[in-house]
Amino acid sequence: MPADSNGEPEARQLSELLDVRLPADAEAIAKVVDTISENLMRLEVPEQKRFEVALAVQEALANAVVHGCSNDPSKQIRCRLKCDQRGRIVIIVTDPGPGFNPELLSDPRRRENLYADNGRGVYLIRQLMDEVHIERPGNEIRMWKY
Amino acid sequence: MGPAVDNLRRTLEEGLGNGDTRIVMNLSEVPMVDSSGIGLLVRFLALIKQQGGNLKLAQPSQFAVRTLRLVGVLNLFEIFDSDDAAVESFV
Repeated sequence: MPADSNGEPEARQLSELLDVRLPADAEAIAKVVDTISENLMRLEVPEQKRFEVALAVQEALANAVVHGCSNDPSKQIRCRLKCDQRGRIVIIVTDPGPGFNPELLSDPRRRENLYADNGRGVYLIRQLMDEVHIERPGNEIRMWKY
Repeated sequence: MGPAVDNLRRTLEEGLGNGDTRIVMNLSEVPMVDSSGIGLLVRFLALIKQQGGNLKLAQPSQFAVRTLRLVGVLNLFEIFDSDDAAVESFV
């Protein structure tokens, strides 16, 4: 699907369902993931799809905590959940960090990476969601699920 | 990430410290495994295999299996339908 310069598929009227700022810690992540899952239940999103979105959000927020906030709970992450008129949803996670270049990420499925203890988060998000945009300078990710 | 992964890390470290190198992990109550959990599992799998043992998974959810497959590590693990079957496989 074509996307505009903001990383959002063209001409979508979006309704905002959630806009929260959370401290960069694991407990806060869990609460936001639960809240998003509850919103998806209200939207009657099937369980399988809810699991996929929940895991993608978990990964995006974990990346924001570790890489965007250096595990500093005094820093804040913004997480938004929106949907369009056709029920497609987008989650936007923004952190205060300097960002990263997604093109530099290696493929976690390569033999030399199989036993690595990190480096799978963004790859997993791309597999679980239908459309993923990492906005320059790399501190904001937009993840669509149709 | 968070307490669940931290607790699992401590448990595995204690097990290895006690010389336990034949480990079955029952995942029936784990609906999803995130990348930090996967990283922990493969790291300990490597450590345990270096010591001649194995870390086997029992009753993982379909979503957990799918997640492990997506990141290419499913085939690293032996997976069983029950704890008993996993334990017996060590004999």
